[in-house]
Amino acid sequence: MRGDVAVPTTWEGHYLDGRSATRQRATIRVMRTGLEATVEGGGTLFWPYREVRQTQGFYAGEQVRLERGGELPEALLVADPAFLVDLRRAAPELGGRFHDPAGRRLRVELTLLAGLAVVAITGALYLWGIPAFAGWVAGRVPVAWEERLGEAVVAELAPPAKRCEDSERARVIGEIAAALTRPMPDFPYRVRVLVVDEPAVNAFALPGGYVVVLRGLIEHTHSAEELAGVLAHELQHVRGRHPTRTLLQHASTALLVAAVTGDVSGALAYGAEGARVLALLRYSRVLEEEADREGTRMLVAAGIDPRGLVGFFESLQKEEGDVPAVLQYLSTHPAPKERIARLRALVARSGAPPAPRLLPDYDWRDLARICPGSSPSPPSGGRRAG
Amino acid sequence: MAEAPAGSDGPAESRRLHFHGSGGSLFGIHIVNIFLTLLTLGVYYFWGKVRVRRYLLSESDFEGDRFAFHGTGRELLVGWLRALLVFGVPVAILANGPELVGAAPAVQAGAIVLVYAIVLVFFPVAMVGARRYRLSRSSWREIRFSFRGRALDFIRLYVVGWLASALTLGVYYPFFAVRRHAFMVSHSYFGNERFRFDGRGEDVFAIYGLGVLVWALGAGAAFLVALLVAFLLALVVRLPASAVVGLVLGLGGALALMATAAAWAWFESRRQRYFWGHTRFAGTRFRSTVAAPPLLRLTLVNLALLLGTLGLAWPWVTVRRLRFAFEYLALEGTPDLAGTQQEAQVVTATGEGLAGFLDAGFDLG
Repeated sequence: MRGDVAVPTTWEGHYLDGRSATRQRATIRVMRTGLEATVEGGGTLFWPYREVRQTQGFYAGEQVRLERGGELPEALLVADPAFLVDLRRAAPELGGRFHDPAGRRLRVELTLLAGLAVVAITGALYLWGIPAFAGWVAGRVPVAWEERLGEAVVAELAPPAKRCEDSERARVIGEIAAALTRPMPDFPYRVRVLVVDEPAVNAFALPGGYVVVLRGLIEHTHSAEELAGVLAHELQHVRGRHPTRTLLQHASTALLVAAVTGDVSGALAYGAEGARVLALLRYSRVLEEEADREGTRMLVAAGIDPRGLVGFFESLQKEEGDVPAVLQYLSTHPAPKERIARLRALVARSGAPPAPRLLPDYDWRDLARICPGSSPSPPSGGRRAG
Repeated sequence: MAEAPAGSDGPAESRRLHFHGSGGSLFGIHIVNIFLTLLTLGVYYFWGKVRVRRYLLSESDFEGDRFAFHGTGRELLVGWLRALLVFGVPVAILANGPELVGAAPAVQAGAIVLVYAIVLVFFPVAMVGARRYRLSRSSWREIRFSFRGRALDFIRLYVVGWLASALTLGVYYPFFAVRRHAFMVSHSYFGNERFRFDGRGEDVFAIYGLGVLVWALGAGAAFLVALLVAFLLALVVRLPASAVVGLVLGLGGALALMATAAAWAWFESRRQRYFWGHTRFAGTRFRSTVAAPPLLRLTLVNLALLLGTLGLAWPWVTVRRLRFAFEYLALEGTPDLAGTQQEAQVVTATGEGLAGFLDAGFDLG
């Protein structure tokens, strides 16, 4: 019984001398300033608490291992965790730094708290932190770097062999693009529009000012205003540096995945997808809305009727069930119904006076001939613009 | 080719390793690691890895004494930085530089070849470095393990092995595998006690050859079965040709996948039994009793766990794998450790000069 007479309790354990692999039985007494161990092979040790560190015995069933020495220490091993309780009680100040088995419950609770914090932090980073970071960095990437990245990607996505380089018709597209950027003399990029001979209905912007338009999309437009609307949308992706931002967001999310799963290969898998993402240009809805909003403004500023963009989406939606190629565009630019409604509201709010026709003397169906061997007439079921 | 029959009980004095840890505790460590890694913007990642390793070793015991891990997060961080500087950066520059600068195609091709050469050298250096580091930081009864093979020797072995395997279309590969394993095992020490490996290339070649044969037979049988099923079905039901082809390919593919998994389990268990059975230590021999069915079951369940939880279940998967490994491994007899002395090799995380760098121990985490 512990009372006035402090009788040190003895514990059965083992001693390792750190020089040979044999362990010797030892009887250990917990004293006020240290441990006294009588080793079966003969000899007694005294280990002051200050020189002792605990390296094992933090989990249920784990033997308590106390080490003393430098790189290659000696060790005392005790199987019973009650030994630690005894030690902490016998030497309150010096023994306080050893593990308290009673504190294991608190450890579980703290771990649960840490788990909740992880969920909260991960959520906050993914939803807010990473997009904010990507936006900040993208704003500071030199234009020359973006152009070089764009050139590298455009060689993949618009291989020279598949480009439609009819100079007369390309000039028409160039005129539209120039009309859009004329009111913005500080547009930071050199705009280059490329037409690729593919039947899919799609267009996308690449870092550095490249806009790639697929033949299928041109075939589905019915007027210069419609193509101008699509180009304005894509040019706003360029101006807002959305491709670069999305790339950065993907890279950061890959790192976050690696941190949470503790697995770098997970990040690699996610990173590899980043390359695909750029090709598919699956922007977040925030960036899409930004491109729509600013694109409408761009059209109005250039004196082009913004209803062309709305008309283009409406005709696409009508064909949704009929022409599978249309689905491509709709999958990368989501939610057409809400989008059309929002665009209509934007157009109404813009208060733009009715604009003169863009390229009134040009037969729009002629543009679809920009690619060799393509059919100039719009597909059946499409609406003809007045 | 002496081989222990699978699943038999060992002699009475065979010694086993035991694992006492739990997936729950490891998951707790993992959660705290993630929390601190996020808080420190990634820096804690290396300390987290050390915590996991320390737990896994501390929960493993042999003859009533636990193993111990003595590494530090700082060492892992330094090792990672060194690998990045010495290998990562040059490879990145060589892989992308010529294209960015617009160099001639010949220069670009030369750079790619150089990249492959560097990567080919990097793997053996990393394998040796990691083994050297991990063994030097592991102990049992306070006696440290060590690895004393020289990196240059292994680089030579590795490069020659890969080239020979490529030139012989894989026929040489089993011999290469044996030489690699022999190098790793025979330069490993516990204190001053050396591990030994007496496996032979011819034996392993037979195992690999039989493995390929079993796999080919299994895959072939799978498609034959699919053809039979399609044929019988076509007798009963009128099916268009495309549906028949789809059925054969789909069913055949699925069955072939199962056959591949089974063949792999059969091959891997035989390989493990051979490699362990030819490893000696302190007057005893290891013996593995792993068999294909439990191995296959373990692997499939682990895969399902990981996929189903998007990787979060890896603490439980790790514990399952360790428990499994220990259950099927034993030492025949008691190792004679009376004369074993501490003979820790000084392994620093920094080295001087190329030789120092090559033979320093470093781990990538």
